[in-house]
Amino acid sequence: MVQVGLLAPPGALVDTRHEYDHLFSIYVPIAVAVFALVVLAIGFAVLRYSRRAPSQAARWHEHNRLEGGYALALALVVVFLLYLTFSAEHRVDTVAAHERPALTVDVTGAKWEWQFYYPAYGITARSGTVGRQPLVVPVGEAIRFNVSTIDVIHAFWIPQLRYKRDLIPGTTESATLLFDRAGSFPGQCAEFCGLRHADMVFTVRAVNPAQFAAWARAGGKGVPS
Amino acid sequence: MTTAAPAVHGPTRIPGVLGALTSTDHKRIGLNLGLLSLVFFLVGGLFALLMRAQIAQPDVQFVSDQTYSQLFTMHGSTMIYLFVTPMALAMALYLVPLQIGAVSLAGPRLALIGFWIWLSGGLVMQSGWLTGDGAGRDGWFAYEPLANGTNTPGVGQDMWVIGVMLAALGMTAMAACVAATIARRRAPGMALLRMPVFTWTALVSVLMVVASFPVLILAMSLMYIDRHGGHIFSGFNGAIDYQDLFWFFGHPVVYVMFFPYLGAAAEVVAVCSHKRWFGHTAFVASIMAFAALSMSVWAHHMFTTGGVTNQYFAFTSTALVVPAGIEYFDMVGTMVGGSIVLRTSMLFALMFFIQFLIGGLSGIFLASPVLDYHVEDSYVVIAHFHYTLFAGSVFGFFAGVYHWFPKVTGAHLRDSWGRIHLVLLAVGTNLTFFPMFFLGQDGMPRRISRYPAHPGWGTLNLLESIGAGIIALGVLSFLVNVVVSLRRRQPAGDDPWQGHTLEWATSSPPPAYNFELPLPPIRSYAPLLDRRHEQLDRAGASP
Ligand SMILES: [Cu+2]
Ligand SMILES: [Cu+2]
Repeated sequence: MVQVGLLAPPGALVDTRHEYDHLFSIYVPIAVAVFALVVLAIGFAVLRYSRRAPSQAARWHEHNRLEGGYALALALVVVFLLYLTFSAEHRVDTVAAHERPALTVDVTGAKWEWQFYYPAYGITARSGTVGRQPLVVPVGEAIRFNVSTIDVIHAFWIPQLRYKRDLIPGTTESATLLFDRAGSFPGQCAEFCGLRHADMVFTVRAVNPAQFAAWARAGGKGVPS
Repeated sequence: MTTAAPAVHGPTRIPGVLGALTSTDHKRIGLNLGLLSLVFFLVGGLFALLMRAQIAQPDVQFVSDQTYSQLFTMHGSTMIYLFVTPMALAMALYLVPLQIGAVSLAGPRLALIGFWIWLSGGLVMQSGWLTGDGAGRDGWFAYEPLANGTNTPGVGQDMWVIGVMLAALGMTAMAACVAATIARRRAPGMALLRMPVFTWTALVSVLMVVASFPVLILAMSLMYIDRHGGHIFSGFNGAIDYQDLFWFFGHPVVYVMFFPYLGAAAEVVAVCSHKRWFGHTAFVASIMAFAALSMSVWAHHMFTTGGVTNQYFAFTSTALVVPAGIEYFDMVGTMVGGSIVLRTSMLFALMFFIQFLIGGLSGIFLASPVLDYHVEDSYVVIAHFHYTLFAGSVFGFFAGVYHWFPKVTGAHLRDSWGRIHLVLLAVGTNLTFFPMFFLGQDGMPRRISRYPAHPGWGTLNLLESIGAGIIALGVLSFLVNVVVSLRRRQPAGDDPWQGHTLEWATSSPPPAYNFELPLPPIRSYAPLLDRRHEQLDRAGASP
């Protein structure tokens, strides 16, 4: 738990939570500023122009040059936001996919359970309506999740990692994720999949690599704390 | 040159309810569609209240999981297919011919049959409740393969599919009539760029309906076949194919549920500012761009599938900032320099713009795949689209109701009740939907009937449920207002607000063929304001 920083040199691996939080922290102030600006403009107009006779109302009603310039300014904002978004997406989708994973887990969704299979160790854990075995992973390593479903669409969502991936019938998608600290990470199916969708939950237990190795050697018996 | 409307004999009149339901008068069709949509609004609202009762607190079971899935499915389906979209069309059917100086609708029988097809769709969909396994239960977009015959057997889901198909077919027919009316029935002088803002928003909406609803009809037909052994969507990529088809309708419909209400709010802002809508040409260009873009953003609903080109759809979706920004600019530009009266309609219109902005700005977040990877299918999305559809469109709708009620009925709505209605609705709306941003960010997925007692979740959900109750009181106060105002009528006259557009140049309610007096000359998109200015100038020139 305390060795996280030592084990994972920061910045080496793509961290979905960091990518999200970084982007979010730029989008939010822009949105708040725009909202405040519009509300102030409406408030100003109402206060300034509400006690006048109708005959005093101005008759001008167009300024296409001003609107053109304004549209251009908006387009620049769009370009700026897209630049940020595309570079974040490049890291989350492309860079992460080229990382060499320390562990691969095959995630299979079914109504209404998760099956986590560790091909390197022959371990299977299940969670959902069938029980609550955790998805045990090492901290600070790139982990490749190959997600698929045997029936309907589900979605593999770990809110604290700010990431989800749909499980689409007929295909296997993969995601490379990093758990940057030890502890429990709740997970849930995010795509409505029928009657007991609400019960299709799981917990990720992130432990340090030594503990993980011990757990895996023991054939996945017991839950490392 | 002014035109005289043909003062001929009215349409063949059948008395009573049967007459009202079979009339081909566009005002009657529009009113019937609007009134029935309003009934569906109350029904859909009831579903929402039951849902909010179930999830007000963690780990309770007020309704069964099965019932809960029917409630959210039918809440969404009722609101989208049977209230917000048809209500937008109802306003277009009633107002567009009046605003363009037409005496009648083009293809009135097609519109009438469209109304009946839509209504049958609504009734079929709701009748699912009476079947053994209950109403539709796969959400308003019913993804494949969840919605196939194996995973969701039963007649109720079939009735949902057929109901959606019929509702879409009926709305397509009505929308086509509005489009044809604009193309063929404009009064002399009513050039396209002289059409009022509302008519323009209605035009782009009906064009989007005509272009995108047939794809929904197709998707539902395929789904029906699929459900009965056709295996349409079980092949390679079938699940993604269905989503592409569905969202090709599913995103444009979002703008069909927005534009006419934007148009209504815009008319209200202009009239209540005593100044014509600012930047009409730029506005028209921007909503055309808006509509074009909105036909090419559909897969932003599919960022997490891995089956679409995320960057392209992120680009088109984020680009919506530009036309949306123009709309807000024009709204402020209309008020600046005007003479503003804060009528109930104006307050609703301003609330529309302010609250919709929260929906719009949160939409920019959802347009970013990296942000969407987290919040897709969470309560953030629920908050986002309720800020656009409820906090936005429904406020625009009420702005329109307070504005045009005197035209339609000849009587004013009460301002006192109107303000109660506004305050309750605004408080309830924000109390219900704002906490959802926090819940979604914190990891609460949509469509779960139960949730564990995570810190804060119980409190936020309880607040939301209380908010939903306040919204219900707001809607109730609106109904009281309507009843009071119709019982003890305060006559409004033909033009109580000093309107800008032609519907105010005829009696309230308008006669069978809309205009008995010659129309005023049409030299701009605000012909009545032009006339008022001329009178002012003449009075100023020779005092
Ligand atoms: Cu699931
Ligand atoms: Cu969309």
